Amino acid sequence: MSRDMRRASQHLRLIGNHLHARNYHNVLVGSKYSSSFKQYLQLPNGEIGSYFHDVPLDLDVDAKTCNMIVEVPRWSNGKFEISKTEPFNPITQDIKKGKPRFVNNIFPYHGYIHNYGAIPQTWEQPLIEVLPGFKGDNDPLDCCEIGSSIAKMGDIKKVKLLGSLALIDDGELDWKVICIDIEDPIAIKLNKLADVDTVMPGLLDATRTWFRDYKIPAGKQPNVFAFEGEYQDQASTLSTVQECHEAWNALVRGEIKADGSEAEIPSIVRAGTHIRVEPNQQNDTPIPQEVDKWYYV
Amino acid sequence: MSYTTRQVGAKNSLDYKVYIEKDGKPISAFHDIPLYADEANGIFNMVVEIPRWTNAKLEITKEEPLNPIIQDTKKGKLRFVRNCFPHHGYIHNYGAFPQTWEDPNESHPETKAVGDNDPLDVLEIGEQVAYTGQVKQVKVLGVMALLDEGETDWKVIAIDINDPLAPKLNDIEDVEKHLPGLLRATNEWFRIYKIPDGKPENQFAFSGEAKNKKYTLDVIRECNEAWKKLISGKSADAKKIDLTNTTLSDTATYSAEAASAVPAANVLPDEPIDKSIDKWFFISGSA
Repeated sequence: MSRDMRRASQHLRLIGNHLHARNYHNVLVGSKYSSSFKQYLQLPNGEIGSYFHDVPLDLDVDAKTCNMIVEVPRWSNGKFEISKTEPFNPITQDIKKGKPRFVNNIFPYHGYIHNYGAIPQTWEQPLIEVLPGFKGDNDPLDCCEIGSSIAKMGDIKKVKLLGSLALIDDGELDWKVICIDIEDPIAIKLNKLADVDTVMPGLLDATRTWFRDYKIPAGKQPNVFAFEGEYQDQASTLSTVQECHEAWNALVRGEIKADGSEAEIPSIVRAGTHIRVEPNQQNDTPIPQEVDKWYYV
Repeated sequence: MSYTTRQVGAKNSLDYKVYIEKDGKPISAFHDIPLYADEANGIFNMVVEIPRWTNAKLEITKEEPLNPIIQDTKKGKLRFVRNCFPHHGYIHNYGAFPQTWEDPNESHPETKAVGDNDPLDVLEIGEQVAYTGQVKQVKVLGVMALLDEGETDWKVIAIDINDPLAPKLNDIEDVEKHLPGLLRATNEWFRIYKIPDGKPENQFAFSGEAKNKKYTLDVIRECNEAWKKLISGKSADAKKIDLTNTTLSDTATYSAEAASAVPAANVLPDEPIDKSIDKWFFISGSA
């Protein structure tokens, strides 16, 4: 069997394995773009689960794939994320000084430039230094899905891991894993980091620039990167995912105790007690007009 | 200025039409809105067709009475521009100057190409995302001469007079100072935007340089003169443009009754846009 055919059949098998993701649903509460908004994961049996803890990582080291939860669709600005503090870790909008947070548009980009999200059952632990001088940012691993489609908040995708960038955000290590939905037509062409530059020239550089500059309009310094901003390759990225999965395992086993540092240990309340939440979605709150502004930095 | 819009049909459908109204009465987006909002102070009216960061190719139709804004079609299908990395949709609030016409009967002495038979296009660069049918008051800053499939297709660069940056932008060189990279991005955008559809790269006259404000005012004046010829029935070939209007009582195509033939507002929920329009095209060598 030729290499291409092997890849094609592997691709089909992966899609087949992924069909179970269709059985997850979500439950919406409150008004989007306000502090009342919560999107909960609903498991196939109808009970509420945690996007952080109850969606399996499903890491396949041979196929280089795992699951991803979409938090922010490409070209949108609302800073939605899996809550660490709320029981069952719903997706909520980050709130700063009482106001929902939106990322600024950094010219020439519009909003987030990827389908942005998190890898379930991973944790960038904030207690010990992972890289010399840097502890994790206390969140699930972040990932940037670079496929052709605009995803929806709460989508659970099987993605192929391609590489990663070690962002240092406000002094904390905050990996950005580059990946692609295995169902994307381009996925078959992307099998290692270098393929991204071939098929999507400019995207990796743009990604680095975006993460460097995205907080400048808010009055912050440019972000910096470990490894001098070099992308880490696929093998190294798989190791990072595995390490963060180990850290998560320790977290949910209850082995992690707050060490008195600033980091608040995430909620580990998860499915298993058949809790249900009634949908109670309200109309969206209008997005403030200043979110349209383009910043030239 | 009390301009409002009247939407008929669902956005992203073949039925979609946006009429511009003055004091609640439909008028022609092409002929009835004065080009000059305040001639002494160099302030123009602009009709917004396409909001920034969207893809639907909406334009003032030339063929229908009162020239509503509709979505362009090709072979019966709605037209959308493709996203060329790193851009998302149109990168300006895109629209046209009323009472202007790029005369296809005349070849421009410098670009050596005939006009594209449309109202003069405007790129509004202010921070707000505009809406289809919005009538903005703008000041002009410069102009680029796109040669789109052999025709001159001027792109006037302008800014909403109410934008916080407007007082600082008075001529083309101020654009690079306050919005660094925007002119280069504009040049790239128009060169490559048809490549995903299998067409060649577009060219610009003047090596892609934007001309200054003074030059721009001359271009606008010429296109306004061409429109005056057109509306007065003196054009060599009016190209079947519908000249119905409700305010120019000295023209043969004046019709006070035309407004009452316009359908009532009928705003339907937006039709979904095909998922293929989400795609980002990577055009190597464009940057």
